Amino acid sequence: MNDRTVVLERAARAYRDLADLAEGVEDEWQYVTDLVDAYLPAILALAGAKDGRATSDVETAAVDEAIAEIALIADPHKAIDWLSTFPHVIALALGGDVDSAPGGHRADGGRDVPAGAGGETAAEPDEDSPFRMLGGWR
Amino acid sequence: MRFQDAARDARTVVYAGIQADPLVARAGSLLAGATTAERLLARAAMNGERTDPEVWRRMFPALFGEGPGGGAGPEPARRAHAEAVLAVSLEIADRGEAARSSFRGATVEELTARLLARRAGPDAPVRRERRVLFDGVRAEIHPYDVTVESAERPEVYDCKWGARGINADVLEQLDDARGHAADEEIELDVAIVVFDAERSCRLRLERSTANRAGTRVVALESLDELGERP
Repeated sequence: MNDRTVVLERAARAYRDLADLAEGVEDEWQYVTDLVDAYLPAILALAGAKDGRATSDVETAAVDEAIAEIALIADPHKAIDWLSTFPHVIALALGGDVDSAPGGHRADGGRDVPAGAGGETAAEPDEDSPFRMLGGWR
Repeated sequence: MRFQDAARDARTVVYAGIQADPLVARAGSLLAGATTAERLLARAAMNGERTDPEVWRRMFPALFGEGPGGGAGPEPARRAHAEAVLAVSLEIADRGEAARSSFRGATVEELTARLLARRAGPDAPVRRERRVLFDGVRAEIHPYDVTVESAERPEVYDCKWGARGINADVLEQLDDARGHAADEEIELDVAIVVFDAERSCRLRLERSTANRAGTRVVALESLDELGERP
């Protein structure tokens, strides 16, 4: 088991704990279940993104910071919000490289990358992008 | 069909004060020029427990530190923009649990209006808090957050902070409006703008039985589409 998998299993455990808290909102039980069913496997599948390369110290620290943030949540309503947000924060931390930048540019993380020669402005995620995997495009 | 200012009660007067707060204008302006990653940062930080900016810089290394795979980080101008987005987001978070949800909602409305304004003109003004009246139809109770009042092809938008805000009442009102407009041979574009992940919106919609075939959902990843004709 490489450190990428270890980091993501840590994130998945934190996500399950967050879901337990969110289930306190009875009216939203189905939505909470749907979020977990969609995102929990997606978080774990990020282990295979970027050829499963090891995470850098900065990436690991980013994921751990996100885990620490959701561990502080005590309000089940806020937990529901974070069930939707946390997976995308993790994906971005681990190399999500698809973004829609202002002015019709693609951005790599926060960096602008000129749009393709064909003039397309819609950012198409690359095949190995954690963002793409998380979005359910594959 | 015609647009009308919404009636103002005590609640709307209070909320109008939040909508007019310079903090909301600043947040809307910064988010209009933001990347998707910066908008994700805003969503997280505005809803966060901690307001120490260093925490958020560590959590978003692609915006403030190294790039994916340890590559080069963002350009200085981009990084400065991310810093500004973070600062305004934490300012909203710092308003406290009760106020921040109103500020967040008002910010999503402001962002929507600013993005729509990119293509609006004198013949299609962008307005806020407007109702739509149809011949022979009882007036709706809830106004639309943002409207584009073109005579040829009007548009109405409901804005939500999260996918959880997508519900049957909202979808039915939008679909009813579209149908009533069609009865008057007017093509009304109806949409929900959600400052949340597109996948979460899809999950929410898949459980809904409300009519929504003609309703567009604009999620966090596709907000810039608002600046283009639907």
